[in-house]
Amino acid sequence: MATQQDAGGVPFSIAHDMRQFRLLELPAELLALLDAPDPPLLSMKSQAPSSAKPAYVVLCTPTSTFQLRQVQTSNTVLITQPTLEAHDSDIPVPTTRAMATCTTTLELHPADGTPIESLTELLPLYHIVDDEVDASGNGKSKDGVFRDIPFSDGQCNRVWQDMMAFEFAGSCWRPSANTLIQVWRSINQAAVADGIKLDKQFLTEDLMRAVDEDAHPADLVLAILMRLNTETESNNGPWSCLDCTKTVSFVGTALLDAKIGLSDYATTDFIESWKDCLPEVWRNETNLKAIDAAYSLPSPSTIRSKKSLDTAKADAAPKAGSQRKWHEKFGRARKK
Amino acid sequence: MPSIPLHIATPPVNAPENPLPSLLQTPSGFAIVELQGTINFPTPEPNPSSSVEVGKVVFPLYNPQLNEPGDTKWMKRVYFYVGQNQRMTGEVKKLAKPFAVIKKREGGYVDMGGMQKGEGTTEELEIVDVVRYKIMFSTRPEPVGGEV
Repeated sequence: MATQQDAGGVPFSIAHDMRQFRLLELPAELLALLDAPDPPLLSMKSQAPSSAKPAYVVLCTPTSTFQLRQVQTSNTVLITQPTLEAHDSDIPVPTTRAMATCTTTLELHPADGTPIESLTELLPLYHIVDDEVDASGNGKSKDGVFRDIPFSDGQCNRVWQDMMAFEFAGSCWRPSANTLIQVWRSINQAAVADGIKLDKQFLTEDLMRAVDEDAHPADLVLAILMRLNTETESNNGPWSCLDCTKTVSFVGTALLDAKIGLSDYATTDFIESWKDCLPEVWRNETNLKAIDAAYSLPSPSTIRSKKSLDTAKADAAPKAGSQRKWHEKFGRARKK
Repeated sequence: MPSIPLHIATPPVNAPENPLPSLLQTPSGFAIVELQGTINFPTPEPNPSSSVEVGKVVFPLYNPQLNEPGDTKWMKRVYFYVGQNQRMTGEVKKLAKPFAVIKKREGGYVDMGGMQKGEGTTEELEIVDVVRYKIMFSTRPEPVGGEV
């Protein structure tokens, strides 16, 4: 190298056929991932092209999401690569060749928000009324749904687990509150019938088999059990053990949410159903504090879900997708 | 389409010798040169080569035999001689945020062990390099004698 310096520097040439390259500015977090010995797979994602909102592109690591922003530069930015070139002399010399220009660079900014809205929109509601499920699926796998959501798989998965979404009959679904309560009742009854103590360690498989007779989607039963597992049992092993706080709050919230749109719910009736839905050992754990964020008291003697207002607003808004029309149908049926 | 994998390319094994100072060398040899304005040059029609030599980049203070390994004083001065009698003065800058160089992956039918979903023309991108320094010429060219 020193000899080239002596000979008057590094020859610089410009390629005739410029190639297409983009420069992506790397935040420290991403740089650390790329420098790691086994870098994870990254991906560029955007919403499904059909959606009415302008599609923006994000870059996803397995667990986080960055928004891409294109930045113009007034300077000429050349990307160069070493080559061997012979121009004036016959002997090819190491040369730096510009083979791309970039008029814009890409900046990355951590994306805020969560995939809750996208998942709610993309997953049809699995709603059981009078033991019948009337819903058309989206015909997509979980991976297929995640591909259309501009968030990382890790973030999508957390929300997926939280809303107890599941795959069934070639589609993905999210359970309605009514569905959750019915499946939960089946779980609770099956546990009582088979002598399985939900508050102690039990084989998930045993309980699944006991619930099976009710013909609820197995994936949904599993999703509920996983959601309610204690921290120590939540890593998908063969064992389960339900967490008291999680379960009591889940049952209370689902019971309230299932009554959205119906007439006033007497607080005493609600507490009574809540107790009846819980395993015997947790009967006395019902305390409105357990569902603090989920309820409001419209009158001294009645209770309702806080979601009532939001849902009413959402129902009033015109729905774009045809997939959800059946949902409006249910809404109308319930109001009659 | 909406999810496009962004692979990390493995650097080529037999890359041509890189004439730039070693600090500027990256696994795949990419470097970034930024300058004000553009380089104009005639395009000779019957040209067998695929490029035009426009000048030379000189690092006047760079001498790996004399400089201490951690010495970065040489980065302060870079000359870019364009043609016979123009010179730009610049410097080597460490990028606060390094750049990933991205391009479309060649050969769209790369077999990813069955991960692809049937579409033959799936667009895939790859990071071919990460560049941490740039050579920056922020001043206008000045006239010099034709001795270079």
